[in-house]
Amino acid sequence: MLSLTHPRKTPLHSVPASYKLLFLCVAATAMFAISTAPVAISVLLVVMAAYLMLGWDVAKRGASASRGLWPFVAVIAIWHAHSGDYEQGIVITARLLAAVSLSNLVTMTTRLQDMIDCLSTVARPLRHVGISPKSIAIAIALVVRFIPEFLDRAERLSLAYRARSGRRASWRIILPLVFSALDDAEAVANALRARGGIER
Amino acid sequence: MTNAPISIDSIRYEIGGTSILNTMSLDITEHRIAIIGRNGSGKSTLARILCGLIQPTQGRVNIDQIDVYRDRKAAISRVGILFQNPDHQIIFPTVGEEMAFGLRQLGQSKADVENHVHQMLRQFGKPDWYDRAIVTLSQGQRQLVCLMAVLAMGPKVLVLDEPFSGLDIPTTRTLSAYLDPLPQTILHITHDPKIALTCDRVIWIETGTIVQDGTPNDVVPAFLNAMNTAVDL
Repeated sequence: MLSLTHPRKTPLHSVPASYKLLFLCVAATAMFAISTAPVAISVLLVVMAAYLMLGWDVAKRGASASRGLWPFVAVIAIWHAHSGDYEQGIVITARLLAAVSLSNLVTMTTRLQDMIDCLSTVARPLRHVGISPKSIAIAIALVVRFIPEFLDRAERLSLAYRARSGRRASWRIILPLVFSALDDAEAVANALRARGGIER
Repeated sequence: MTNAPISIDSIRYEIGGTSILNTMSLDITEHRIAIIGRNGSGKSTLARILCGLIQPTQGRVNIDQIDVYRDRKAAISRVGILFQNPDHQIIFPTVGEEMAFGLRQLGQSKADVENHVHQMLRQFGKPDWYDRAIVTLSQGQRQLVCLMAVLAMGPKVLVLDEPFSGLDIPTTRTLSAYLDPLPQTILHITHDPKIALTCDRVIWIETGTIVQDGTPNDVVPAFLNAMNTAVDL
């Protein structure tokens, strides 16, 4: 659980959450403007270098957190190889990997409470249209918190399926996964409510 | 800390026309109370109503003269709950953040919250846990984090919804050692007769109805007798 957070403190942990999130927004937007393969690869290498500068353990954890991207990378690569547009394929793949890896790096080095505080401040104007900024911030924090949990649950369901079947589970676990996620959601909502986190 | 009176006034709970808890009223002033019953007897539903997490179809629960469902702001500083699975309770990736969450909801400043969390960790002999990642903790240690996070909010009543399920004997013993000397009123939801025997009062519930309510010496033998003769799954 909570595998996105890196347990060892790095120099990036002491940078305020607002600076990191602002930088992430600007960098991710700028990445969309990249249209040539050498620039896209250079940006990806810079992101990888940032990981390595923080330590081998951080780089390993970052690589592990990006595992879920590989199916998408494969689809993009196959499609562009098929259409013959290699440069575009490289640009899209490198941009995707760089943007997601950078996001993971920010998540790994930012306290969740600091992220909630920052998002609450940004969402404050929404109060005027009847939307609670606190609810939005907590919702986003919960997404960050539960993605690794959800992936872990999917893996366990998949193993349980394979233990009693000769076939791979694939799409067959989607429905039980959704039901178990709803079950968990109710338990977490109770836990939040018990400590004043959400109110009806 | 004096015991906070708990008043359960004619509560009933049903879902889609199915009765989960039949009308019941209880006045609780004891220090240690066990609520026992089989799986599906309505114990956990009662625990959630006691903490104001769900609205009873009828009736109300007051703790320390506060309606725990309607006055949530006051309720969170009066009653805390420890769930069976700590992974459902823990929201934040580090111990310090997890413990700080409830205190922030009580309106404490960031600096006060930080001091309070450090003080709580020292009190439990875990001063170096502030930055510990939850992922590095065992199941029992996570349950301890949940306990510290709830106690930091200073509740007068603590509801334990079978938090020892799935824990090994030494871990259960260690957690019990933390819980036993607490000044709070503790309502222990359990189906373990050994725990019930240590309480001042035992309330036995089956199919949403109170079967027996009294001292452990009266209720536990009757409960055990009924459990030994019940064989259905």
